[in-house]
Amino acid sequence: MKSPVFVIAGYVLREAASRKFILAFMVGLTLVLATVALSLKLEVVDGALAATRLFGEVMRSNIMSVDVALRPIYRAAAYLVFYGGILFGIVACSDFAPGLLSPGRIEHLLALPLQRWHLLAGTFLGVMTLALGGTVYAAGGLTLIFGVKAGYWTMGPLIAGGLACVGFAAVYAVMLTTATLVRSAALCSAAGFVLLVGGILAGFRQDVSRYLESGFGRTAFDAVTLVLPRLSALATRAADLASSTPLEKGSLGMLLGGVLVFGLGALSVGFWHFEGKDC
Amino acid sequence: MESRGRRRVWLLGALLLFAAGAVLMFTGQGDTAPAPEKDVEFPRRMRSQDHARAEKRRTWVMPAAVDAGVAAPVKPRDPLLAALPRGPGRTAVVIEANALRYSPVGELLMDCLLRDGGKNLEQFKALSGVDPLQDLDRLVVTDEGVILSGDFSKAKYQELLGERVASDHGPGARVYEPGDTTFTLPDGGTQRGRMDTAVGTWNNQMLVFGKSPDSVKTVLDRMDGRGQEDGPPLLDENSTYGEMYGVLAVQTLAKLLGPDQAELAQRLTDVAQNVELHLDTSGDVAMVANVTGLDADKMTDLGKSLGGALSMARMKAQTEGKEDLAQLLDFAKVRPDGTSFKLELAVPLATLQEQLAWCREERQAAERAKTSP
Repeated sequence: MKSPVFVIAGYVLREAASRKFILAFMVGLTLVLATVALSLKLEVVDGALAATRLFGEVMRSNIMSVDVALRPIYRAAAYLVFYGGILFGIVACSDFAPGLLSPGRIEHLLALPLQRWHLLAGTFLGVMTLALGGTVYAAGGLTLIFGVKAGYWTMGPLIAGGLACVGFAAVYAVMLTTATLVRSAALCSAAGFVLLVGGILAGFRQDVSRYLESGFGRTAFDAVTLVLPRLSALATRAADLASSTPLEKGSLGMLLGGVLVFGLGALSVGFWHFEGKDC
Repeated sequence: MESRGRRRVWLLGALLLFAAGAVLMFTGQGDTAPAPEKDVEFPRRMRSQDHARAEKRRTWVMPAAVDAGVAAPVKPRDPLLAALPRGPGRTAVVIEANALRYSPVGELLMDCLLRDGGKNLEQFKALSGVDPLQDLDRLVVTDEGVILSGDFSKAKYQELLGERVASDHGPGARVYEPGDTTFTLPDGGTQRGRMDTAVGTWNNQMLVFGKSPDSVKTVLDRMDGRGQEDGPPLLDENSTYGEMYGVLAVQTLAKLLGPDQAELAQRLTDVAQNVELHLDTSGDVAMVANVTGLDADKMTDLGKSLGGALSMARMKAQTEGKEDLAQLLDFAKVRPDGTSFKLELAVPLATLQEQLAWCREERQAAERAKTSP
């Protein structure tokens, strides 16, 4: 018998497939990738990018190692996938949970042989599957295009996409927990945005803290940002990985694990609240 | 009741997860500022210190040509630049000896120069009266010979060159023909030798070494504005940046490339006209070479070949685990620009230190031997 979590996840995915703007996004992404694939021509000599043509026009560029030349593109793509993906995810997935928990539907779901936390876990899994699919499509497409065009193959963008998914997991967990408090897509989005901004600040907490007056304000900032997921730090590492540049000091595994564990913590708060909620 | 117990577990789990997450993130990112990214400063243009240096060197007012009794005002200029050869296909490389001496690379070179504990240097100072480490400012290598500039007021011209046939050549200039020389040794004895190079002296500021007295006179004439060649000197004041700079004739560069780079040397001589070089040694050694030619397509092809060669070198460094070199070769690039291109390349200081480590060891050993009773 199928786990109820997967059943709910499948339900969320079907719901997503029926949304026109998610489909439009996928079509748009496909068009962008196809345009890049058809209009870009790279000339590689002994591993050096010697010339670039975009829409038939020769682009003025330096002749250098192909992986070094493509670094800015991979870096920009990694940041775009990371922040763009999270932003799009916040907007696109904000009403999944409020919709699922809306009066009428929730009673129907609770009548099924499943526990309440299954409902939230299934929604989370469904949304994360969606995010992972989109990321693999975008990052994989880019890797494939530049791999074929330049003969330079790297797993960097795909790994960076994976990091972006972990970042989004933390954000969406907070959005889902917010949905158990208030059934409002707008407030879920707002919670997601606030966490995104907080996560960006948390990644630069040392730099930001330096500019704050010492005292309660700074201590409070330090305490809050200690717990918040360090999204900007993760984005920087994702960009480093995508562009095959040496990672900053520290452990990526620990940072990644920390962001993921924060997400699970936020999800647990949601489970806790939803378990005691009178629907 | 069961639901309440489960809720408690979720809440406790959440708190533990938040705490664990904070610890993991703190350990993973830490609170230390990230190390600054490796950066190389390529000598691409005159910096403020280069401008200041060039301005200080405008000390020489060339004798003005009098036309119908009216002398046009002449701006002071750098006498060394005025002495440089003119026209295409010529070579002149300036080494800023004083600046190089106090750079990290200069320290390495000093180790090599003084690896006998400074014995030869002391001997040279005693013989010539010139301390190269103090008195020498610039050294120029041209296809005609060598020009040294600096303060040579303490030079013992008479003792060193007194036996040679000499003649004055314009104001403040004297030319010594090749001939015998007698050196006074530190123990008081003498040693006779023959120097086949002609030497020119100019105002105690410049020494010119050439193959013949005529080549030395040509250099001195250029300074006084009596030169027969047309066109400006190979280097103008705006190109005097870096610790080493100059213009190399492609034929000279091809010879320097050696037999294992014969194909590249041939392509260079076929396509390029000359190469302007600038080297910065303030940290890692960074080089910018501006290669000019006549045919844009051929120059682009040459640029592509060089770019490919650099890319291969980077890959080789990566496979051999030479991370420092590979990281610096990340900066290597060719910038095509019509009939010319700029080649940028850097060599890590650590690599040079490794290569020249033997100099330091020998110098330290010699100095220890000198101080021990």
